[in-house]
Amino acid sequence: MDERDGDRMRERPFGEDLTPAIRRTDAENRSDASVADIDELIGPPQTLESEIQGVWAIQSAVSAAILGVIAAVAFSVLSVGGPWVGGVLFVVGTIVGIALTILRYRIWTYQVRSDSLYLRRGVVTRVNTVAPYIRIQHVDTRRGPVERVFGLATTVVYTAGSRGADVSIPGLTPERAADLQARLKQLAIAAEGEDAV
Amino acid sequence: MKLDPLSIPFRAAESIVRLAWVLVVFVIGSPALGGGVSSVLGLVVTGFVIALGYQLVYYQRFEYELTNDTLDIVSGVISRRDREIPIGRVQNVDISRNVFQRALGVAQINLETAGGSSTEASLRYVSHEEAKRLQSELGRLKRGARDETEEEQPERELFSITSKELSLLGVVGIDLRLLSVVTVLLPVVAPSLREQFADPLLGLAVTAPLAAAGIVAVTAVISGIIAVANYYGFRLARRNDELLYERGLLQRYSGSIPLEKVQVLTISENVIARRLGYASLGVETAGYAPGDAESQSAVPLADRDRVFDLARSVENFEEIAFERPPKRARERYVVRYSLVALIVVGSAFAADTYTGLTFAWYVTVALVPLAVVAAHLKWLNLGYAVQSEYIVLRQGFWTRTITVVPYYRVQTVLDSQTVLQRRRRLATVVVDTAGSSGLTNRQPRALDIDESRAKELRETVADRLQEMVRHRRSERRRARLQSIETGREEAPSESVS
Repeated sequence: MDERDGDRMRERPFGEDLTPAIRRTDAENRSDASVADIDELIGPPQTLESEIQGVWAIQSAVSAAILGVIAAVAFSVLSVGGPWVGGVLFVVGTIVGIALTILRYRIWTYQVRSDSLYLRRGVVTRVNTVAPYIRIQHVDTRRGPVERVFGLATTVVYTAGSRGADVSIPGLTPERAADLQARLKQLAIAAEGEDAV
Repeated sequence: MKLDPLSIPFRAAESIVRLAWVLVVFVIGSPALGGGVSSVLGLVVTGFVIALGYQLVYYQRFEYELTNDTLDIVSGVISRRDREIPIGRVQNVDISRNVFQRALGVAQINLETAGGSSTEASLRYVSHEEAKRLQSELGRLKRGARDETEEEQPERELFSITSKELSLLGVVGIDLRLLSVVTVLLPVVAPSLREQFADPLLGLAVTAPLAAAGIVAVTAVISGIIAVANYYGFRLARRNDELLYERGLLQRYSGSIPLEKVQVLTISENVIARRLGYASLGVETAGYAPGDAESQSAVPLADRDRVFDLARSVENFEEIAFERPPKRARERYVVRYSLVALIVVGSAFAADTYTGLTFAWYVTVALVPLAVVAAHLKWLNLGYAVQSEYIVLRQGFWTRTITVVPYYRVQTVLDSQTVLQRRRRLATVVVDTAGSSGLTNRQPRALDIDESRAKELRETVADRLQEMVRHRRSERRRARLQSIETGREEAPSESVS
């Protein structure tokens, strides 16, 4: 068996019919070709599309509206205040939401680094996440109804970690999202996701 | 292979018991039936016969087979399911038997893989011998997939619980969840006691400590009974690269934990255990669904040094020298706890002034100095240690948990900073693994460390992960080359390792 394997290796060192275990033996030789690729795939820190502010603003306005309606109902039953409290809550909530949205947009950056994806986000709680490519299980692109209206998409990176889809990048144009998904896929393959768990 | 024939009546009886409440509602809800005992009996018998028929079909249509590299299960009465589980991906194999199952000599065997949220394969029920056979066969096949020459080693006992430890477990393992249940019962008992005192304050002063003592005592007794029932005859052994455990008084559990699938080790000691010099060891694999924490406890309670020895035999971490967060983190906790204390004092005062209740609200002022002590204790028990292959994290005063995370098992690493943390230039580093207890708040994390240190730590962990992966890969490559040279065919190692 190994005799035949040896012959095959001599004939076609990187042939496709070899078993994965043998291919891994020459991983270093093989990666010579992909090193250049990796340099093309990685890049400097990127910001989101500015349209995402619209999506977030609408989302915060919707939650402010829900809060306002609940407050309006509650206060019309109670003896103090009146339904106007709900209106005030809605206005204040929306203004705060929009302010947070602008800050959130300014802070949000992501970077495709050589061996990991790096995200920086959060207004109240600033979070910097490092997601190594070897840990990537799969990459999704998602488009919600509001996102579609604004012509945006979200790329979600899944790991086996307990935080689930914690690594998601919103506010990309569909082309950018598809490009990012393809790049991450290539990087994950280059990193050989052998050790996913 | 088929299930054990005894599983037909057993499963039928089980489903009847499960439906018993429906019967109860039915009988109570329709007194017109009036038949009393005889009609209930009739219903039970009819139900049992129907269930028996269904289970007979279930039995006939359930087939499993253990091949050299998969476990195939074909099942389902109406909708059929054909499932193949690659043996290399199996994480845990657990056998459980309750009293009735033991009387019948049957057992339930559960298989866990890293995917999915529930148990991937559950055979209910096979004979106990068959369960044992499957467990050891699975272990052998998993080893075989890696290295055929490795001989089956005899079981080596690592730990078995003594009766002293078992009785201590009842005291140490007071379950706080039980405490809340017992507390709910308190208002039923308390008023009758308090009525005997004229002054409500005096009444409270007498009844409150009594009640507290009562709560703790009852809780201790209940959790003691639960602990003894759960961990009676606990035994941990090692065979090749697997840990084998056995435990339980009424319901007997036994299972295997493959060492190479271990994600994280946790050593936890609560206040009482710490004083007595005891600790418990938890082994987390990626297999279990969140919330199964109970079944992952590798050693329920043992001497602290012994626990560390056992932990080192699984993951060879170095002597731990913990680094504490900077002192300004402690200031944060002082502020936080003092605020809580002041809110309590304020509301007690308000309740005293604006409601009919009059009581010594100023007693709550004592909480303020307590807040400072609590802050110090919280800070004192925090810590992290960066080692060459592991990052070790420690937190918690009531239950101090030391988490040993191999860099190799890290999934993502992040540092986060709230507004309040930014003001004090502090940050928290969270190390996420595929271990299953991550959904609770007890994520492995280094709380409130210096912000520049946090950034450094985040990058260090990510870099060391890459290093460890490269290292493992080159080792595997070397092993592979060696096996080619010596002319031995070896199956490629599976990816979920």
